[in-house]
Amino acid sequence: MGDMRVVVGGLRLRNPVIAASGTFGFGAEYAEIYDPARLGAVCTKGLTLMPRQGNPPPRLWETAGGLLNSIGLQNPGIEAFIREELPRMKAQGITVITNVWGNDPGEYERSVARLCDSSVDAIEINVSCPNVSRGGPVGEDAIRTAAVVRRSRKVCTLPLWVKLPPAGGLAVARTAQEEGADAVSAVNTFRGMAIDIKTGKPVFVNVVAGLSGPAIKPIALRIVYELAAALTIPVVGIGGIGDWRDALEFIMAGAHAVQVGTANFVDPLAAVKIVAGLEKYMEENKITDWEGIRGNAQQ
Amino acid sequence: MAGKIEVAAAQVASNVRVAEGIFLLKLRGDYSAAPGQFYMLRAWDRNPLLSRPLSVFNLDGDGISFLYAVRGRGTGLLSRLSPGNEIGITGPLGNGWPRRDGRIALVGGGLGIAPLFYAAGVFSGSDAYLGYPDEPYLVDEFARVAARVMVSSDTGAGGTKGFITDIFDPDGYDACYACSPRPMLAALDRICSRAGVPLFVSLEERMACGVGACLGCAVRTVHGYARVCRDGPIFPSSEVMWNG
Repeated sequence: MGDMRVVVGGLRLRNPVIAASGTFGFGAEYAEIYDPARLGAVCTKGLTLMPRQGNPPPRLWETAGGLLNSIGLQNPGIEAFIREELPRMKAQGITVITNVWGNDPGEYERSVARLCDSSVDAIEINVSCPNVSRGGPVGEDAIRTAAVVRRSRKVCTLPLWVKLPPAGGLAVARTAQEEGADAVSAVNTFRGMAIDIKTGKPVFVNVVAGLSGPAIKPIALRIVYELAAALTIPVVGIGGIGDWRDALEFIMAGAHAVQVGTANFVDPLAAVKIVAGLEKYMEENKITDWEGIRGNAQQ
Repeated sequence: MAGKIEVAAAQVASNVRVAEGIFLLKLRGDYSAAPGQFYMLRAWDRNPLLSRPLSVFNLDGDGISFLYAVRGRGTGLLSRLSPGNEIGITGPLGNGWPRRDGRIALVGGGLGIAPLFYAAGVFSGSDAYLGYPDEPYLVDEFARVAARVMVSSDTGAGGTKGFITDIFDPDGYDACYACSPRPMLAALDRICSRAGVPLFVSLEERMACGVGACLGCAVRTVHGYARVCRDGPIFPSSEVMWNG
């Protein structure tokens, strides 16, 4: 049997399938359906130093092959997370990656420092949420990204990943690497919108919302392929992964691990089915470890 | 809560048109649910992407049923199911109506009558107030489970012409359970709070995960945003922010 384990940017995972931030809460809801510890890790809902109530409804809009969301980082704040969610997650045996967002580099630094003083396993810096800052996320700008990653790295003693927006380009990814990121997660949702033709107005209060789901997979795959070729740190592939075949494409493109997001809404068992599918694929193709296929599609 | 969330393949027992664009889907098998709870249903692969949340219309020894209106692609695909077809279902989900002693009024508008049928069966002795846009349907079925059935229709095609809120008087009831489009619920909130009768409403929002993880189906309450799928769909009306 193949070895499903993988080390991604300093973080040891029992398999390369991670529940993506914002789609899995803190693991408690899906724990009523299956044991989240069967996944490589759970990436938490995006956390902030202070609690956030999130954006006004509507927050969702279904599109052809995709889903637009404008949740707006509703979360109980880092202290409440550490107090009320983290102990349960750790007791369940979940490998915990905390997704973190801040208003400015100083806030990222304070949040990361606080989390490094807890029992979380890794930190994913979110410079790519499309729903909280007007004029696009920080991660679309290399200089602003550099400041965030530098300040975070300075205080971070845990594996530090940077979650990139699709429009960041190689320059931002290289900046994250140069400032000391252990890995990049790519990509967050695409900035999209919808218009209600009955009212003639944008569906979302913030106008722009984040597009996820099968619709974005080919573009996300292309970005991951390019990042894997350009960077020396690992890439975690995200974007429209719906089954084990999709996951395998990202691994063949060069991803060390994958995150499963919107697919959890399509089938609550999607992520754990991907683990089983990959395991079967390894076995049938006599693949002993991920080194054997990772990045094999690279020219 | 009526038990663990199940993700299962279910077999269609029947799928009957009960009115113009309104269908009653029955699935064979042993399911659980409390009145007011719902399931996520899907009878397709990835198009549409999301499953459809439908409240439980009835639950008996043979299976579980759902009343739905054909509104878009998803419900259109549901309407084409035949006996023997398999569909995916996840549930039961949500909280369900509280159990209250005394006289209970069940008030439904349009497709909002869907979760009231099962409630009438479980909360025996309840009265049902059913408001239809046009021709009433399933009234005889309600008459078998409810103590009394009052009917209205916007067009006057059946029952009293007008809204169900025109003929519903909360006086004498110990609680009111309601499901309907939001403007009618807001009207009921005013009527019931004047009469001092506790009102519990079933709310609807666009939903993705159905289990409380994505925070997509948020509604404003006095406690901040609540999740319709997890904290609801049933809310004490006094906690809902009716103005937004």
